[in-house]
Amino acid sequence: MEARGWARTGALAGIVTIFLALVGLIGEFTDVYLIGDEITFAGLMLVLPAVVAGMVAAAPRIEAGVRRELRVGEAAVAAAVAAAAAGGVFAVAVLLTDLIGVERIRTVFIKISPQLMDFLTFGRSTVGGAVIIVLVSTAAGVAGGLLRVAPPSIRKPVGTALIVTAMFGFLQRVIPIMFDQLVLERDWLYSPIYDGLTWVGALVVATVSAGVSVLYARFGGQVRESLSGGPRREGSAISPLWLIFGGLAALALLAAPLLLGSVVSEVLGSVMVFALLGIGLNIVVGYAGLLDLGYVFFFALGAYSLALLTGATLNAYGIPPEPVISGSLNFYVAIPIVMLIAAVAGVLVGAPVLRLRGDYLALVTLGLGEMVTVLIASPWLVPLVGGPSGMRGITDAAIGGISFRDPQNFYYLALAFVAIAAFVSWRLAASRIGRAWTAMREDEQTADAMGISTTRFKLLAFAIGGAIGSLGGALFAVKIGSLTPASFQVLISIQVLGIVILGGMGSIPGVLVGALVLVGLPGLLREFEEYRLLAYGAAVVAVMILRPQGLIPNVRRSRELQDEERLQDEWVKTVKEGETPGEVGTVTGVAP
Amino acid sequence: MSEPPSAAGSDVMLEIRGLQKHFGGLYALSGLDMVVRRGEIVSVIGPNGAGKSTLFNVITGIYEPDAGDIVYQGLSVVGLRPFQLVKLGVARTFQNVRLFPNMTILENAMVGQHCRSRGGVFGSIIRTPGVRTEEARIRQRAEEALSFFGKRLSGYRLEQPAFSLSYANRRRLEMARAMATDPQVLLLDEPTAGMNPRETLELRDHIVRMRDELGLTVVVIEHDMRVVKGVSDRVIACDYGQKIAEGTYEEVANDERVIEAYLGTKAAG
Repeated sequence: MEARGWARTGALAGIVTIFLALVGLIGEFTDVYLIGDEITFAGLMLVLPAVVAGMVAAAPRIEAGVRRELRVGEAAVAAAVAAAAAGGVFAVAVLLTDLIGVERIRTVFIKISPQLMDFLTFGRSTVGGAVIIVLVSTAAGVAGGLLRVAPPSIRKPVGTALIVTAMFGFLQRVIPIMFDQLVLERDWLYSPIYDGLTWVGALVVATVSAGVSVLYARFGGQVRESLSGGPRREGSAISPLWLIFGGLAALALLAAPLLLGSVVSEVLGSVMVFALLGIGLNIVVGYAGLLDLGYVFFFALGAYSLALLTGATLNAYGIPPEPVISGSLNFYVAIPIVMLIAAVAGVLVGAPVLRLRGDYLALVTLGLGEMVTVLIASPWLVPLVGGPSGMRGITDAAIGGISFRDPQNFYYLALAFVAIAAFVSWRLAASRIGRAWTAMREDEQTADAMGISTTRFKLLAFAIGGAIGSLGGALFAVKIGSLTPASFQVLISIQVLGIVILGGMGSIPGVLVGALVLVGLPGLLREFEEYRLLAYGAAVVAVMILRPQGLIPNVRRSRELQDEERLQDEWVKTVKEGETPGEVGTVTGVAP
Repeated sequence: MSEPPSAAGSDVMLEIRGLQKHFGGLYALSGLDMVVRRGEIVSVIGPNGAGKSTLFNVITGIYEPDAGDIVYQGLSVVGLRPFQLVKLGVARTFQNVRLFPNMTILENAMVGQHCRSRGGVFGSIIRTPGVRTEEARIRQRAEEALSFFGKRLSGYRLEQPAFSLSYANRRRLEMARAMATDPQVLLLDEPTAGMNPRETLELRDHIVRMRDELGLTVVVIEHDMRVVKGVSDRVIACDYGQKIAEGTYEEVANDERVIEAYLGTKAAG
């Protein structure tokens, strides 16, 4: 019975591996080296599902309501069964592919190439390769399973070392730049031939990160306690620990472009633009609880109104380059006007949807967002915004000869705006306005019956969220210097919402981390550009299952979610009475 | 809010004339009349479905009446939104306790002060001295309202989320939140439902204190006849959305129609 569960977990992992191969995440990366010339990204993708399957199979059981860690032998067997199943399923797929013929399959699944097959069979016969796949998967899975049941004193440092080393491997385009900027020798860390980490470098990174993990486990608690002066009271003022963290984070943010050079700064500039959008949307969704899927509206509004106010020209042919409405304002004069326009637009958009809640509001706003894309591309508005060919010659927001189109300078400009927006958002959240939003989010009708004008505070959320979003749009316009409707797709709304959800609704640090993860990482890992949306979706799904409150949750929002979870649990308990507890462990998500 | 209980019994606080409200074919209120004077405690009793809660919902603007008038301190308040009535001084609690479960106890009470404060967007961002003073005042008023129930809602509990409270304390918090709106009229919808006998007696004293110490006018929907007997200056009995009897507790308790409405089971208590 148990073995069947393990095998099923493994089979799922095998299917995931097949999927990874089909979309090209294995075949395209056989020469992206993470460590030395042995460990490639493709290799990692090949065994990773098996490792995860091993870990899942070795996860603690809940037996009769009691959590039980598996014994080592038990865990090894469970992990081996699961991982062998994973390897087996994948090996069968490889064999079948060979049987059918690579070229025939390739007409449908274009990423299945002879090179991929070479890689998957380790240069041997297909059958030999299949055997190796099963063996390697099993070994990797057992390693994963054993790590899972190892005592924390071993598990944490080893896990940290593995993850950090892998991150260093991934960031092979970023970290070396940092060394160059600091004029440090880096050939010992990153191989000049293979781009990835050298074995020596990997060992150093792993050792250092494991060491830090051990030190943290030993002294972390003490440090935390002595800093915060005893266990932290809920809702108390900012503790010194957070001050230190915040200070370090601020320093890192300030130093980043200098350390990372202009290529990475370019990406970080985008991160800041999206952080700004996230902070704005967070007010609407996170604070006021209004699910807005049309946020791209404000992004576009900010970008185009800035362009018009500062005298950008049309890109269209056969018509005069002057837009119908054109100002010649300085960027810093135009910004307050842009925000005002957006705030008014927020009220205008908000007013008709006031009575809608939840799903209905989401749908209507989604439509409104889509309308923007259609409008700015329509022939009707060509004299104003240039239609499909857009506008160019947008101000670079220069002050005293310093142009902010330069990625490094732009980063600082954007960072300044993010800081201001974060401050505004934080102060509002902590005021009677924030309280009114929270009350409204928790129970709209009761808030009304307790003296809060819900109409007013909904519109206020739309207006402020819109103003901050337009700021993001204006900065985006400065960053790229020209606008086309292609930059303002509905996808932007979804992406920003993803940032807010991933970071943790209602949490400002969460928004920053969310933007860094969802915009920064894909930007830095250029090879993965094609897989950006795939990874994006996977990340959001994973967060929703594993950590629904977000990466850095807002205390209250996470309580709300846990509430729902509690109710769900109770519901599941009553519905699923009689199902064996062992099986519950392998179910990855509960979908009521 | 801190006016002394008025001796002038004729000072009309709330007057309801011919109030009607129907949902489809169901008449929840069919021509109800009642008067509440300043500084009195009026109990509204009646069997389930008599329209008591609907009465509160109509008075507080959650439902709009189909006919009739509600006059509060000489002003017709029909058509006003709930939040406007709170601002005018009519606060309420709900039959099924409705708190903001994930806000702390203090925050719940602070929400009550919302309508008595005016800090705007810019003031809140810059934290002007005015806004800071106001915020301190909001907090102080909220704590005051909470301390009405002694230690049950203060001290370490201030920072705890409302969902962590016991059932009786949730009811108390709901009342404190309503009191934090600085009301003149307090509408309590079955405040003792779900409380044990000791808590019920304690609450009875609290309702009397609301009148005597805070000078509030209280309208209370209540099923527990000991409470009704203990607090009421006047009792109004309803059935089928109409007033069927009015007077002192004894008068109403012995009224033929009231006994009939209750099928003779409860009026004897």
